[in-house]
Amino acid sequence: MRMSDYIEQSLSNLRKKKLRTFLTTFGVVIGIGALVSMFAFGKGMQKNFTDTFNELELFNYVGVYARSLNSRRHEDPDRPNTQEETSKPAPVLDDEFLLSLVDIEGVEWALPEIRFPALIGLSDEEEFSLIQVLPADLCQAGFVKLRAGDFYTSDEEYSLIVSDSLLRRLKIKKPEDAVGREVELSTLTVDFSLSNLKNILSFLKGTGLPFSRQNYTFTIVGVIERMGMSGPMPVRSNVFIPHGTSQKMKKIAITSVSDIFQSMRPSQGYSAIGIKLSSPKYVEPVKNQMEDMGFETFAMLDQLEEIKTAFRFVDLFLFAVGMIGISVAALGIINTMVMSILERYKEIGIMKAVGASDKDVKKIFFFESGVIGFMGGVFGLALGWIVSNIINLIINSIAMEQGVPWVSYFRFPWWLCLGAIAFSILISLLAGIYPTLRAARVDPVVALRHD
Amino acid sequence: MDSDSFVATENLTKVYSAGTVQVVALKDATLSLDKGQFLGVAGPSGSGKSTLMNLLGGLDQPTSGKITVEGKSISTLNKEELALYRRYQVGMIFQSFNLISSYTALENVAFPLLFAGVPKRDRLRRAEEMLTKVSLDSRKDHRPAELSGGEQQRVAIARSLINDPKILLADEPTGNLDTKTSRQIVQILSDLNKEQGLTVIMISHEELLLADFAHDVIHLCDGKVVHDDNEIYR
Repeated sequence: MRMSDYIEQSLSNLRKKKLRTFLTTFGVVIGIGALVSMFAFGKGMQKNFTDTFNELELFNYVGVYARSLNSRRHEDPDRPNTQEETSKPAPVLDDEFLLSLVDIEGVEWALPEIRFPALIGLSDEEEFSLIQVLPADLCQAGFVKLRAGDFYTSDEEYSLIVSDSLLRRLKIKKPEDAVGREVELSTLTVDFSLSNLKNILSFLKGTGLPFSRQNYTFTIVGVIERMGMSGPMPVRSNVFIPHGTSQKMKKIAITSVSDIFQSMRPSQGYSAIGIKLSSPKYVEPVKNQMEDMGFETFAMLDQLEEIKTAFRFVDLFLFAVGMIGISVAALGIINTMVMSILERYKEIGIMKAVGASDKDVKKIFFFESGVIGFMGGVFGLALGWIVSNIINLIINSIAMEQGVPWVSYFRFPWWLCLGAIAFSILISLLAGIYPTLRAARVDPVVALRHD
Repeated sequence: MDSDSFVATENLTKVYSAGTVQVVALKDATLSLDKGQFLGVAGPSGSGKSTLMNLLGGLDQPTSGKITVEGKSISTLNKEELALYRRYQVGMIFQSFNLISSYTALENVAFPLLFAGVPKRDRLRRAEEMLTKVSLDSRKDHRPAELSGGEQQRVAIARSLINDPKILLADEPTGNLDTKTSRQIVQILSDLNKEQGLTVIMISHEELLLADFAHDVIHLCDGKVVHDDNEIYR
């Protein structure tokens, strides 16, 4: 038998039972569609994640933490501190140290990891932003580049530097117009004093939080371009204030990982600093250098492998869920093929009587399964793509209302598209094995007597 | 067994086992016929006529004994070789015609060529020629249900001859037909036998029909060849 004959035979046989073929194929379509959507979602998530990391340049970042004596003792209680270790001067993360980092190859900038959320009020506009501490001494280090105005000169003044993107959100188009204007910075604090009685009562009733707002007035002295402020949390800072002023403000600063993990603060310097490098290739040497000096370090790059493993598990999980649909579809194929063989019992007998070999019979039915698989794969891919896009549209239209920019949550790489069709055919052929063997085993003598 | 006979069987035995019960369908059947012969096989139902036909047609394999066609053993062929034997050496027609109901007359006749790997255009052309031979070219696009019994059997004859076989096996070909149509059908077989030298083996319980057309008639009873003569014909 010729290849074209096998295809024509199977198509004409499937056409004869249109409804059954449609329903069986539709089962495969749903199964493959679900699997494709799941996979596309997994791949989309992975891409968005790594894109965000790359965009925020998280892989170019090294966090450096002062090692507290407390935590060291905690780590290794059995090992007494040797004479050598205690005599060694404890390294301090101060401004002088930060300035010295400029000379290290690959370092773009280094800032203390002191960040807290606040509301910025200018005229009638209010915007939420993260406030980054930039010590006055570091202003001239070249870490931050001004577009307009000047740096503050003292660590105690109520002056701030703001990014042009935040200014745009506050409805100021020209950076020059902002310099010299006063802004209101409002921080939130946990407040159990009597003046905050209303919020405390609602907290006790379980309907609110005992926060109170603290307002501070600052003067804008400079404007910078938006700066990718990388850290263990994917955030950007739009406002910079002096260190001394920051210490005087009441606030909750929980945006730095060091604040969560390091309860014991060193008496001198900052608890943590973040170093931004020009390329991920500098991560390892800078990290080693910092560790040699006696600091603890954290680099997101080290986490990449673990993140990849986590994504592999997500893929596996989505695949397992998708396989439920495929298994049901495969059972549908087996059912349809067995039914078809029972119906065409006599026809199989005739085939054999006129000279069909067992192999010919097998191939005819195998092709039928294959055709169901191919059609199921193609239309399943189409269905998966359409449904994914509809879901994407719905999620995005909801997210857009909340001000979240457009993101594609699904991704269809070429190998997924081809793989879906190939997988569908494979599953269908596997499902066709039993019915096919059964068809080949039909005894022509019995089949020809059959009515 | 005659060594130069065209088709020969020797002690052909077929035993069917249904559970613990064993049914002997054919017992030590020995017969032989020459090329171009028209052999009639008569006998009551259950006498093993169809079993003999299935064995000669390569649809079934004997429990013991031997079948030779042109000196070559058929009973020792494997499944694949038997398929080739059925495809090219023998043509079969049946009492119930065994046409595929969803196919047209033309498609039914062309069907065996599919397994012979003949291209579609040639298949249809050859099938049309064959339908013309049985005077059914005007009915080629009709399905079996739209044809009379005689017409269906003519389609079956055309199908059995499409691969140019050496032997035509007819298993009660007139069983579902009236007397007049029966004679027409057997006449076609007889013409093929006379004009093209086709070897024909026909099963029938209509002794009169066999007497009129067959060269030789053998009788089967309880799976045994009980009578092998040509008195009736002569």
